[in-house]
Amino acid sequence: MTTAVIEEDRLSETFAALANSTRRAILARLADSAATVNELAEPFELTLPAVSKHIKVLERAGLIRRGQQAQYRPCALDAAPLEAVSTWAEQYRAVWEARFDRMDDYLATLTETKDRRRR
Amino acid sequence: MTNSNGAQDAVVIERSFDAPVELIWQMWTDPTHFAAWYGPDGATIPVAKLEVRVGGTRLVCVEMQTPGGPMQMWFTGEYREVVENERLVYTESMSDENGTVRTPSELGMSEGHPVTTEVHVDLVDLGGRTRMVMTHVGIPGDSPGAAGWAMAIDKLASYVQTHADR
Repeated sequence: MTTAVIEEDRLSETFAALANSTRRAILARLADSAATVNELAEPFELTLPAVSKHIKVLERAGLIRRGQQAQYRPCALDAAPLEAVSTWAEQYRAVWEARFDRMDDYLATLTETKDRRRR
Repeated sequence: MTNSNGAQDAVVIERSFDAPVELIWQMWTDPTHFAAWYGPDGATIPVAKLEVRVGGTRLVCVEMQTPGGPMQMWFTGEYREVVENERLVYTESMSDENGTVRTPSELGMSEGHPVTTEVHVDLVDLGGRTRMVMTHVGIPGDSPGAAGWAMAIDKLASYVQTHADR
């Protein structure tokens, strides 16, 4: 059970990391190829420290890995945590689709009742 | 949803209903209407307390019949945005019957489920018909109220750890 809690914390961290549009954009950029902090900072009009902060959040969430070359330490995307998120969301999609099918049916019964009253 | 970074981090469903926007709004906000469609097939919603105002709480019970007797699941949350006939945003967590949040793993669910999620409902009046976009996301960590949720989750984590050996 302790392991489950740790994994759950990890997932919360993933969601927290994904909650920011700049960080999502950084991940989108890294989906193309690995990049250095300088390269990542360029399109966002952000200071290097600001970008570094976002990268640290993404690194803690396990969404990116950093190379060991001391000077550049390029960032690369790690998609594993995203897969856990996708599993959660995909399970819920079916639940919601079924709910809205029922909403549709229920709305039809309400409309029928109204039509009958009108007659 | 597949967003710009190729990740699926939310459920987004768009539907059009052959009903006026006021009625679709009631589907979400009127306990009787809500109970009529929300539960899975064969389930009932014996409790739906919906305090539809910003900061208002919700408490929903889903009851399913099993061979071992009725099984209840409780969900609680808070309304974040309420714009009548246009937009509804609320949070959702699994809970007990008093609305105390319980983690999915405590309840034996898969570990991939976030403790708190947020449901967004956007309605567009199409003149007698309604387009609805429902978004269900894991709660963003840096949104207002996240600190409170994080504290609740921390408390639960330590609670679960102390009780893990039982």
